[in-house]
Amino acid sequence: MVTIGQYPPEYDPKIHGPYDPARFYGKPDTPFGQVKLNEVGSWLARRNKSPQAIVGAISRAYWRWQHKYVQPKRAGIAPFLHIVFGSMTFFYILNYPRISHHKNYKYH
Amino acid sequence: MLSRAALLSGQNSKVLVALCRTTASSATNNAAASAQSSAPTFQRPVRQEPGKVRHGFIPEEWFQAFYSKTGVTGPYTFAFTLSTYLLSKEIYVLEHEYYTGLSLLVMWIYGIKKLGPKLAGYLDKSVDDYEKEWNSSRVEQKEAYETQVKDEEKAQWSVEGQTLLIQAKRENVALQLEANYRERLLNAYQAVKNRLDFQVEKTNAERRIAQKNLVEYVVARVKSSITADQEKQNINKCIADLALLAKA
Repeated sequence: MVTIGQYPPEYDPKIHGPYDPARFYGKPDTPFGQVKLNEVGSWLARRNKSPQAIVGAISRAYWRWQHKYVQPKRAGIAPFLHIVFGSMTFFYILNYPRISHHKNYKYH
Repeated sequence: MLSRAALLSGQNSKVLVALCRTTASSATNNAAASAQSSAPTFQRPVRQEPGKVRHGFIPEEWFQAFYSKTGVTGPYTFAFTLSTYLLSKEIYVLEHEYYTGLSLLVMWIYGIKKLGPKLAGYLDKSVDDYEKEWNSSRVEQKEAYETQVKDEEKAQWSVEGQTLLIQAKRENVALQLEANYRERLLNAYQAVKNRLDFQVEKTNAERRIAQKNLVEYVVARVKSSITADQEKQNINKCIADLALLAKA
């Protein structure tokens, strides 16, 4: 069965209405912000770590960001700056092995 | 046929409209009832307001997350201490790209502060125009229907005015009839009076002529009854009288 390009299996248009790419249609777990420290292990163990689920999570995060900063009627400069600073951080980390050769001090 | 008759008779137009309204409302009620049985349990997604940010791009929520633990200076303290840590340990290396970035940042800030409001105004205006363009047909249609309803109400109101006008016209006609009646009454009175006056005049004239004729007849008879002898006596008497007068 092909699952690429399909809606999530839990999505039912009659119950959920129009498809929202930013929404998780599965059974909601405790939000990560409300998880106690001693429950983090079991919380992580409950996560679906298949490639599809990871891609889905990234996709939802991307659409959440889109809906919040890019799609509003009077979106400001925030999404552009997000991309600028995000790519700065990304490429800094990517180039870090080369950048670290430019250190000025031997001892810290 | 019935509806046409009702339309023609004008006075019943309101009743017809009311009838149409009741049928239309009952139709919508039926539709609503059928839709309610399969009412959707979901809410349609709506377009969000832009997320609040500080310094142009940092989400407000990140600051809010600090507040309950550290107070309002917490996020800035965290950023400052973290950056000093990263710099002093040279985890973040101040190589040549850092200074490029710093000068770029200054230029960006200047550009955003200088051109941002103008660009935002222009873009907001174009967004509004675009939205207005899409809405215009609907808004105009609605306005057209509202004016039609207003015109219809005005027409109904003026039809009510027509009934008043017709009443006034009826009163006018009644007044004219009354005036005409009185005029004719006067005419009849005048005619009768004329005839009576004529009769009076005629009677008077007849009486005058009869009197004249009688006087003439009597005078003629009296004159004819006077003989020559009597004439002579009379003249003599007159002469004697004159003589007597002359003597006196």
